[in-house]
Amino acid sequence: MNQNRCVFLMGVERAMEYRVSFFLSMLSAVFPIVIQITMWNYLYGHGDGAAVFGYEHEQILLYTLLAVIVSQLAGAGFEGEVNSDIKMGGLNKYLVRPVSYKWYQFFSFTGQKVPRFLVAAPVMTGILVVGAWQGLSLSAARILAFLGSLVLAVVLNFCIFYCIGLLGFWLTDVDKLFGTVSIVLTVASGGIFPMDIFGGWVEFVVNLLPFGYTTQFPVNVINGRFGWERICLGTGFQAGWILVFACLGEWMWRQGLKRYVGIGG
Amino acid sequence: MITVEHLQKEFSYYKKATGIQGSLKNLFHREMLTKKAVKDISFSVGRGEMIAFLGPNGAGKTTTLKMLSGILCPTAGKIDIDGFIPWERKNAFKRRISIVMGQKNQLWWDLPASDSFYLNKCIFGVEDGPYRDIVTELSELLDVRELLNVQVRRLSLGERMKMEILAALIHRPDILFLDEPTIGLDILSGQKIREFLKIYNEQWKTTVIITSHHMADIQALCQKAVIINQGRLVYDGRLADINTFLGKRKLIHVKTSSPVAQEEWVSYGQVREMDAAGAVLEVEQDKVRDTLGAILSGLHVEDFTVTEIPLEESIARFYQKEVTPL
Amino acid sequence: MGKIWRYLRLIGVFAKYSLMSALEYRINFVAGVAVEMGWMVIKLLYVAIIYKAGTDIGILTPDHILLFVGIYMLLTGVYMLYFGNFCSLPGMIQQGELDLYLVKPVSLQFYVTLRRLDFSLLLPEMVAGTAMIVAGWKRAGLPVGLVPVGGFLFYLLCGCLLTYSLFLLPYLISFWTISLGGIADISNALWDFNNMPSLIYGKRLRDLGTYVLPVFVITNFPGLFLMGELSVGSCIWGVAAPVVFFVIARLLWKVSLGKYSSASS
Repeated sequence: MNQNRCVFLMGVERAMEYRVSFFLSMLSAVFPIVIQITMWNYLYGHGDGAAVFGYEHEQILLYTLLAVIVSQLAGAGFEGEVNSDIKMGGLNKYLVRPVSYKWYQFFSFTGQKVPRFLVAAPVMTGILVVGAWQGLSLSAARILAFLGSLVLAVVLNFCIFYCIGLLGFWLTDVDKLFGTVSIVLTVASGGIFPMDIFGGWVEFVVNLLPFGYTTQFPVNVINGRFGWERICLGTGFQAGWILVFACLGEWMWRQGLKRYVGIGG
Repeated sequence: MITVEHLQKEFSYYKKATGIQGSLKNLFHREMLTKKAVKDISFSVGRGEMIAFLGPNGAGKTTTLKMLSGILCPTAGKIDIDGFIPWERKNAFKRRISIVMGQKNQLWWDLPASDSFYLNKCIFGVEDGPYRDIVTELSELLDVRELLNVQVRRLSLGERMKMEILAALIHRPDILFLDEPTIGLDILSGQKIREFLKIYNEQWKTTVIITSHHMADIQALCQKAVIINQGRLVYDGRLADINTFLGKRKLIHVKTSSPVAQEEWVSYGQVREMDAAGAVLEVEQDKVRDTLGAILSGLHVEDFTVTEIPLEESIARFYQKEVTPL
Repeated sequence: MGKIWRYLRLIGVFAKYSLMSALEYRINFVAGVAVEMGWMVIKLLYVAIIYKAGTDIGILTPDHILLFVGIYMLLTGVYMLYFGNFCSLPGMIQQGELDLYLVKPVSLQFYVTLRRLDFSLLLPEMVAGTAMIVAGWKRAGLPVGLVPVGGFLFYLLCGCLLTYSLFLLPYLISFWTISLGGIADISNALWDFNNMPSLIYGKRLRDLGTYVLPVFVITNFPGLFLMGELSVGSCIWGVAAPVVFFVIARLLWKVSLGKYSSASS
């Protein structure tokens, strides 16, 4: 466990390395929120938003504020590293050592989450306090459910992107593909707008697919849109999808490794 | 045409502390340090000369070349190149010089080298006729005629370097700076490039300043050398005079028909090497005649030669700080 | 005049070479198109929301907004055409790669910022943007004639120049400090304010974005001119701002370059 702790700390350090960018990328996340909030305020101020979109005004504002933070927290970014390890033979050093590659990536990934979380936590608390002051009903149980769903969201996102990174065993030249995938998944997970505002079949599909459970679901747990029934159902979906992607990842790793060793690395 | 006077260059950089505490500390405060890359250098180069600019790694060669070509601005001192101050970077000045750095490339990686040449033609405003002539002539001299239409990424290192040099000459510069042009190249490519530079310099009277760690380059090409160490000038003169400067010594290679004992060799001069078949002795130049006479009369000599101390060795002495700055 | 001709010709050569290089890696080219389409989906989401709400923004009907977002997309494509050069500027400075361009008798700024042109990013934005402009123009029943069309195109060009000048500024910081990931993020986030017409923002923000950091001028002025809603003063500012900021960018470039030639090793 000690070695994993070290990997974890290195992840923390790496994220601290760039002093200016560290503060500023946090700040730059604020701009899209300003744009979206302005838009929602305008649309809700000049029409019956609740009837059109199915979210109350406060709920959609809270969603906008929290979705960015949650998607930042859950966000991956290590898939490129996995891919280049496969391509450049960096994998070899893990294969000859008594380290499990997936756990190395997992702890490195969660390690890098810590500074983000340290910044995000007070901000999130602030938002929730203001929300509560504005009439949001917050119970200890709901907050716990939110934190639980958040942890599951991070794990689920790790599993999804781990699988995507492992695609490198089969596909050449996937660097730019990752860009597309991560944008599409950010949209699909509700990181920009809640996808269920579009109603009908879009909402149905989004609820079935795994992506919404990395962002949209945790946010809707805390902003009070979901009742306990939906929360339980959603948590079940999260756990189920984690299981599916973990198994998929394990299977891909085995199949891929056969190929990798076959080629001779 | 090139005069350099009391050139100095300082760089400042940050100190990076290690570990997570270091990172945290760096977040708020950084310690500034200064490094003097070039401390005091003066020399001059005449038109059409080809001079070697030598020194150990980190001596300040590249920095000086960059100041000569106008890339860097010195901290103090003067450079005059035909009335231009390089770091003012006037276009008229840029048209007269060219620089090739062995470690950097200006060619478009995914396109044939000829495309990069054409781009340089447009940049320097070379007319169509002269441009075609130059490319034809130089590519034949460099033996890369057939490779002009091959993507640069498919070329070998040696071929790429030839193309880099060709690209740098499209506008017929008066002055060419070469920073380690043969670094990492095999013997044949290096030789070809040397031959080319020699011919080119003779034909076009281009002034060339070259840095290299290959003595073969230097000996084949340059009559003059400027040697610097730790940012200071330690030698400026003819390559052939380096030995004189270091104390006029010569090597006598002697072959004997029967083995000679070490004590006996020592009585003739300083023994560098010896075995059953002979020895190499180092003696002062004005004692060569006497020593030879003594050896010839005292030993059964089969053969002998007198040579200079190898250039490499002499220059190494400059690098080892054995020589005080000029 | 001869000088302008020479630079135009160089841009032609850059464009040709960039395209030729890009076509050497066809998969990457396709992937580039795919990534940009991912980003387009996000922009289209905003339009989808506006149409779903069916709300006017001030004098702008959803059809006008379609036109405005179309302009935003088209100009994003143009910006993306040379954006890669901005991104590689910090790397070039750190690796000392400006050296070889510094000794060439052309403007270093010109060479370094326009050397590589990425058509895979321009293509989707240009197609979609133009389609949206045409559709919005038609549906909103806007005039077609020499003055409206000519003026529209003229302000589009002004917008392009302003984009170049304004968004080059943050990248100049890389001459002074090692990492600027954060600053780049911020300027990109700033660009995204144009995802919605400036009329949606409050007066203070609108003024700030029009006169201080004139991002709104870029995509709003062509549309407003077309609608005949651009006051005389604004017409003048729409021409002056690109010139002013180009001069600022030019001066700052020169000052920053002094830093390069006195500091790097």
